Amino acid sequence: METVLQLLAFLLLVLGTLFSLIGVIGFIRLPDVYTRLHATGKVSVFGLVFLLLAADILTPLATWKALLLIFFVLAASPAVAHAISSSAYRTGVPLVGKRDDLKGKLEVGQEKD
Amino acid sequence: MKSLLDITIWIVLIAHLFMALVAAWRVWRGENSLSRLAGLDLASTLTIAVFVIISIIRANIIYIDVAIAAAALSYISTIALAKYISDHRVF
Repeated sequence: METVLQLLAFLLLVLGTLFSLIGVIGFIRLPDVYTRLHATGKVSVFGLVFLLLAADILTPLATWKALLLIFFVLAASPAVAHAISSSAYRTGVPLVGKRDDLKGKLEVGQEKD
Repeated sequence: MKSLLDITIWIVLIAHLFMALVAAWRVWRGENSLSRLAGLDLASTLTIAVFVIISIIRANIIYIDVAIAAAALSYISTIALAKYISDHRVF
């Protein structure tokens, strides 16, 4: 039983690290703020949640605190991504793709650094 | 199995520190302020992951408390900065 749990924790650690690596590579390589937010959501949801499940198995007494942090991350990460992309659209950061469903429906100002 | 798990945890810790360094480099050399803000959010997420890995290595629950506090701080600061950049006021 112990060995099975340790093997499960090993698989969760490797899988979370691979998701984080894919997210960081996407954050570097993608051309736009919106597509970069698509990549950083992978790090926040899959990488961190898999690491927290591994900590749930390996660290003693960590069950409910790790589940609390999983719930908080799953609630906070979409809100942060939506806030950043809404702020980027309102300040007029250009889109790389062609389709823009919000064109003409929202007041777009200029970014003042 | 035990030694394999130990080696894996150290490799995962080094990989997350390297990725946090890469995200901080993108904050330094960003295109616009929103791209830098996304990089800041990514760096703080990877810092929370580093706290979780340290709690696995030390087998101590108290680092998960630190990770909860860091998650709450990064959530509030990122949303406040995004609203400040778009509206030029916080509240």
